[in-house]
Amino acid sequence: MRRRTALQGAAVTSLLSLGSSSCALQSAPAGTDSNGVTTLRMWHYYQDQQKTWLEDEVRRFEAKHPKTRIALIDVVGDQQAQKLLASVSIGNGPDLLMNNIVVDFPVLRAAGVLKDITEQWESFQDNDQFPEATAWRNEGRVFNLLPYTNLIGMYAHSDALADSGVETVPSTLSELESAMQKVSEKGAFEPLAMAGSPDVEGAWLFAPQLLGLGIDYCNFHGAAVEDAFRRLARWRDKGWLPQATATWSQTDAWQQFMTGRYAFALNGNWNLGNARDSGFAIQTARYPASDGGKSKVYPGGEGIAIGAQTKYPDLAWSFIESAFLSAPGARAVNTVAGSIPVRADVASSDQLAGDADVAPFVEAARHQARWPDNERTADMQRALGEAVSGVISGQLSGDEGASSAVNEIAAARADGGGSC
Amino acid sequence: MVILAAFALWPLFVLVQMSLSEVGPAEIVGNWSFVGLRNFVDVLGDFETWKAILRTIGLCAILVISNLVLGFIAATVLSTTGRTASAVLGILVFVWALPPLVSGSVWRFLLDDTGTLNAILGLLGISPVNWLSDPALALWSVSAVVAWASLPFSILIMRGGLLAVNPELIEAAAIDGAGFWTTRWRIILPLMRPTLWILAVITVLYAFRSFDFFYVMTQGGPGTSTNTLPVLSYYTAFTNFDMSTGATIAVVSMVVVLAFAVPYVRTIKNEETS
Repeated sequence: MRRRTALQGAAVTSLLSLGSSSCALQSAPAGTDSNGVTTLRMWHYYQDQQKTWLEDEVRRFEAKHPKTRIALIDVVGDQQAQKLLASVSIGNGPDLLMNNIVVDFPVLRAAGVLKDITEQWESFQDNDQFPEATAWRNEGRVFNLLPYTNLIGMYAHSDALADSGVETVPSTLSELESAMQKVSEKGAFEPLAMAGSPDVEGAWLFAPQLLGLGIDYCNFHGAAVEDAFRRLARWRDKGWLPQATATWSQTDAWQQFMTGRYAFALNGNWNLGNARDSGFAIQTARYPASDGGKSKVYPGGEGIAIGAQTKYPDLAWSFIESAFLSAPGARAVNTVAGSIPVRADVASSDQLAGDADVAPFVEAARHQARWPDNERTADMQRALGEAVSGVISGQLSGDEGASSAVNEIAAARADGGGSC
Repeated sequence: MVILAAFALWPLFVLVQMSLSEVGPAEIVGNWSFVGLRNFVDVLGDFETWKAILRTIGLCAILVISNLVLGFIAATVLSTTGRTASAVLGILVFVWALPPLVSGSVWRFLLDDTGTLNAILGLLGISPVNWLSDPALALWSVSAVVAWASLPFSILIMRGGLLAVNPELIEAAAIDGAGFWTTRWRIILPLMRPTLWILAVITVLYAFRSFDFFYVMTQGGPGTSTNTLPVLSYYTAFTNFDMSTGATIAVVSMVVVLAFAVPYVRTIKNEETS
């Protein structure tokens, strides 16, 4: 039986490799060398400032632990989960890993990629500084942590607001529609840049229109869903959303906003640094609330976990404590990478709460929605993304989009065992 | 030979095994439970699969027309010697050798709503066209780019076929009064029928495995309007992690490809025999 499993593992690896070329991800050998230096392999897909922050944290940790080395192994972000499944199937998983927690936590947990870290988390002395949502659990056991978060909110181009006679940044979707009407009538600016690609990004940007009304992937049906899709179709029909939005990722949408041609953007806090260098004045606000509802968004960002096959769980946990859970690490991730730490003492400090541009995102982090715990979470998000993209492009009417999303999400949830 | 067969057949065996099993993220490591043809019933009963098949056939049609018709015309024009022909052939080889991820990204910018192509149309007083975001146009826009990428191969193959035609036949046709295109139509084209047939089969196979350009340019969107079979298979298996359904879609593609590959192999054999 074991031999068959090993063969299957090799076969799965070869099949998964068809979907993504297998680079030499394990080029840094794990283990302890003759000098007693232990190397931990950490898979990540950070780039730019986020990678800078991670490298800084590795240096800080290694300076305190001269007998430990953290080898950072770059993986292509959207192939990370596939590669993790492949590595675990042949018994060669990483010691530490970063993952797109909101998409692949159920998959990686079910596939046995993540180590159970319940004991480490519960004995961590500062864990009362973190909200309950930081620890991602399955059947009461902790497998993944989300110690800082990336969230979406609203950016407004101050000149566009002044030009169109919009006095304040909209806080509800009705106010946003009214503001977009003014911007559109004035004609000097395009109303809104947002992602609408047929994947998790399109879904992530649209879902908050329902979350504040208490509708998420676990109860995705009803009149409010239909209203939300009809509103999206209305934005399309009025020309407030360009048809190209149907293919825009968050990066595409942000690049459009940075041209200065758009009055509003729905995008993430990680763009704040870039926005301040834009050459025009910006304001930020929370994602506009639905009428009769609250502003609520899904938390995003990278999860941190210990690989199930590591031989050095204690060392790996030490690094997580130092880089991801400590106050210096939390302050640095905001300073260097713009992410929002959820650690209470840092989140309430002047560095975050005292910054008018950052404050809406910090506030959003305190009212975040809960992701479903279902193996088909990614499937549900793609189904919503495809419906959103379909409506924006004109492939679907608002009602068709709502119907497609409701049916596909229900089917995916059922395929995943129906749990939420 | 054994190693070659093992590398080719073992993944195919596992693919078929996966399509007959229940494989999600929880089962990827360990034993797979056999479910018979249930995945095939589900996949073939899903309207999205049939729409993906139709889109793939649409892509096939564009590629066959482009590779055979444009390919023949271009190969005819380039079947001369000279600096211009050599330069054009050099460019064709360059285009053919470009990685699809690179050329696809370039085309994505060119075809963007605010891209170069629309800027040129604007200079001519023509309204911008939403090449990649209009669901009625996106499939054909990406298909045109796939055709652009595969055309050089077709031209090079056909040019080789044209140069292999006995010059005495062409001279005899000229003496009989046949013009340039009449000679091509009446003499050369029938002689090249086996080459054209093989090229058509290769083109169909290429269409059924075309994934890169769709991945880079539209990711299957807008909505689901560019979800061809390979794209649907990829996202089902590697984004949704529904491995068994993804494998089943791949097997369906493979069956279609086999239907074309068998006559292809036979043609090759006949060619070798004759």
